[in-house]
Amino acid sequence: MFSKPILKQTFKSSYKLWVIFTAILCVISAVVISVFDPKMISGMMKMLEGTPMAEMAGDRLSSMTSLLGMLSQQFYGMLAAILPMIYIIITANNLIASQVDRGSMAYLLSTPTKRSTVVRTQASFLIGSVFAMFLVVTIVGLGTVQLMHHALWGEGYTPDVVAAAKVLDVDKADLTDDLSLILDNEEALATGADAREIETDVYTMYLTLKMADDTGELPQFSEQAGQVGDMQNQIISGITAAADVLGVAPADLMSDMGKIKANSAALAAAAETSGLPEPLLVMMINSQLASDELALDAGIEFSVKDYLMLNLGAFLLMFAISAISFLFSCIFNLSKNSLALGAGIPIAFFVFQIMAQIGDSLSGFKYLSLNTLFDTNAIVNGGSYAVQFVVLAVIGVVLYVVGMNRFQQKDLPL
Amino acid sequence: MPLIEIKRLTKDYGAGRGVFDVNLTVEKGEVYGFVGTNGAGKTTTIRHLMGFIKPQSGGASVGGVDCWRDPAKIMKRVGYIPGEIAFPDEATGTSFFKRQADLLGLRDMAYADYITQKLQLDPTANLKRMSKGMKQKTAIVAALMADPEILILDEPTTGLDPLMRAAFVDILNDEKKKGKTIFMSSHMFEEVEDTCDKVAFLKDGKIIASISTEEIKHKQEKTFKIEFATAGDYTRFLAEPLTFSEQREAQNQVLVTIHDSNINGFTKLLRGYRIKFITEIKYSLEKYFKTLY
Repeated sequence: MFSKPILKQTFKSSYKLWVIFTAILCVISAVVISVFDPKMISGMMKMLEGTPMAEMAGDRLSSMTSLLGMLSQQFYGMLAAILPMIYIIITANNLIASQVDRGSMAYLLSTPTKRSTVVRTQASFLIGSVFAMFLVVTIVGLGTVQLMHHALWGEGYTPDVVAAAKVLDVDKADLTDDLSLILDNEEALATGADAREIETDVYTMYLTLKMADDTGELPQFSEQAGQVGDMQNQIISGITAAADVLGVAPADLMSDMGKIKANSAALAAAAETSGLPEPLLVMMINSQLASDELALDAGIEFSVKDYLMLNLGAFLLMFAISAISFLFSCIFNLSKNSLALGAGIPIAFFVFQIMAQIGDSLSGFKYLSLNTLFDTNAIVNGGSYAVQFVVLAVIGVVLYVVGMNRFQQKDLPL
Repeated sequence: MPLIEIKRLTKDYGAGRGVFDVNLTVEKGEVYGFVGTNGAGKTTTIRHLMGFIKPQSGGASVGGVDCWRDPAKIMKRVGYIPGEIAFPDEATGTSFFKRQADLLGLRDMAYADYITQKLQLDPTANLKRMSKGMKQKTAIVAALMADPEILILDEPTTGLDPLMRAAFVDILNDEKKKGKTIFMSSHMFEEVEDTCDKVAFLKDGKIIASISTEEIKHKQEKTFKIEFATAGDYTRFLAEPLTFSEQREAQNQVLVTIHDSNINGFTKLLRGYRIKFITEIKYSLEKYFKTLY
C-alpha cells in the first residue's frame, strides 16, 4: 500500500516547511487567545456604536465579543485559511509535479515501486501533514485557553467565588448555585470584591445582576437598562465634563468609568453637567461596571465542541484545497503548469471569499468560493454546517482519487 | 525467447517526432547498442522499455512482462541510467545511494563501493554542486549498485572525459562477461563499437539498419591507401583491374578495395611499382552507417 522509504524521503524533504507553518499558526492562535479581553472589546464596541465603521463591520463585530467569535473571525476566517494553503500549494507541487519536471522521479520509478504506491504514499503524506498541522494547532489552542482563561476545566469558578467559598467554608459549586450567600456575609463580600479587583458596591451590583441572569430574570434588568438608555445623552455630557476635569479623553473614560467615582471633583462636575444627582450617577456607573464584569464572565465561556468544530472545518476546507493542488500536481508534467492551477484556484477562492465579505453588492462571489463552505459564523453561533462539511470532504476525496488515477495513466517524460 | 522484445512500437508525437514501427529483440547476455542522432527517438524507445510512457500501438516487454502494464515487476531486474540526470533532494552522493538502496531493498553496498572506486568518484561531495561528469558517475553507480541482470542505459557516457569513458567501457565489458544483458543508446559510434554485440541505427524514429559488430570488425573487404613515388607509377596502376574507391591525382594516392581472398595476388602485383607507403583504412561502424545516409 505505502512505501516506507518514499514516506521517509518525503518527510525528510518536507518537514521543515511543515514545522515553520505549524509554528506560525500555533503562535498566532495562542496570541489571539491570550490577548482576548472581552472588557476591552465591549468597550471598543460601545465606542463604535452608531459610527459608519460599525455599519461596515456589520455583524462581524458583534460576534467578536466572545472568545470563539473573535477566534473564528480573526484566526479561522483569515490566517488559518491562508497559511496552511501556502504550505499545501508548495508541498503538493513538490510531491509529484516538481519531481516529474526535474526528472528525479525516474529514480523512484526505476526501482520496483509501483506508480500507484508512489502517488498513494505522497497523497497520504499531504493529507496526514495537513491533519497533523490542525491537530497541533487545536492542542496548542486548547492549552492556551486553559492556561490564560481557565475556561476548560480546573478553575471553572470565578476568582471571587473561590475566595468567598473559603471565607464561608462552603463548597464552590454550592456557592455558585446560590450567590446570595456572599451577599449575606460582609466578610465574604469584601473578599470576593477583592478577588475580582473591584469595589464592594460594584461587586454587590454584579452579584445581583448575575443572580438575575442565572434565574432568567433578565427582562427586568433590561427594563432598567432601558431607563438608563433614556438618560444616555445626559450621562455622556457628564462623562465629557468629568474627562475635562481629569484631563483624559472622554472615550478612554468611557471604558473605565470607575475613575469618575474615584475623583470627587470629576464626579461633581459630571453631576452638575448632566443634571443627575450624584448618588444616581454613582449607581449608574456601578451598574455599568457590574455589567462589564458580567460580560467578562460570558466572554470567557468557551465551548470545546464549537472550537473542535472550527478546527475540523478548517481541516476539511484545507483537505479539499489540498486535493485541488494535488490533482494538478498529478496532471501536469511541468511545475509551472501545476502551480498555475494548483495555486491559482485556491488563491482565487480565498480572494473571492474576502470580496464576498466586503459588501452586499459583491456577495455573489461567495458562490464562486470553496471557502464559503467553511462557515465560521454558523459554527460559533449555532447554525447548521454539517452538510457543508460533508460536501468539502466529498470534494476532497473525489479530487484525490481522480488525481491518483491520472498519475497512473499518464506518460512521464523521465 | 528474447529477453527484451519491442514489437511494432509506435508513438507519434506529431511533426515527424516519435518512434514508428520499431522492432527489435535482445537475447539474454547480449549487449545491444542503439545509435542515432539527437531527436531520433532513442530516449522515447527507452522510456517505453521503462514503462514511463504508454505505447500508441505495439509494445515492449522484458522477460515476457509487458513494460506498460507491470513495470514494477521488471524494475526488480533492471538498472537504469536516465538520459537527463536530475537527482532527488539529497545532500551527498552517499545519502543518495543509501536512499536508492532503501528503495531497492538492498543491504549490501559492497558492489556500489567497488564501482565508486573504479570510477574514482568521491560520493561524499555535495550532490547539487557536482560537475556533469561526477553526476554521470553517480548515476552509473546508482544503476549498477544492485548488480541487476539487465542494464538500460540512455547515453551513459555523456559528460565523462576520455579516461573515464574508457573506465566505463571496462566496467561494461566486466558486466557483459558476467552474462548481463545491456541495452544502451549512444550518439558515439566508437563507444558502441567497443562494447556492443549488435547495433541498431535509428533515424527519424525508424530503425534503418542493424548489424552485428563482428561483421564490421571482420569484414573481408579491406580498403588500402597507397601513395606512389612518381606520377608514372600512379597512372600505370590505375590501368590495373581493381576496384578504386578514390583517386587523388595531386598526391599520387589511390584507395583500393581488396577482398581477403585476393590479397596474395595483390601483393604480387604491387612488386612492379615504386611505392612511398601503403596503409589499411580501418572499416568502422561510422563508415558503415554513413553509407546508409
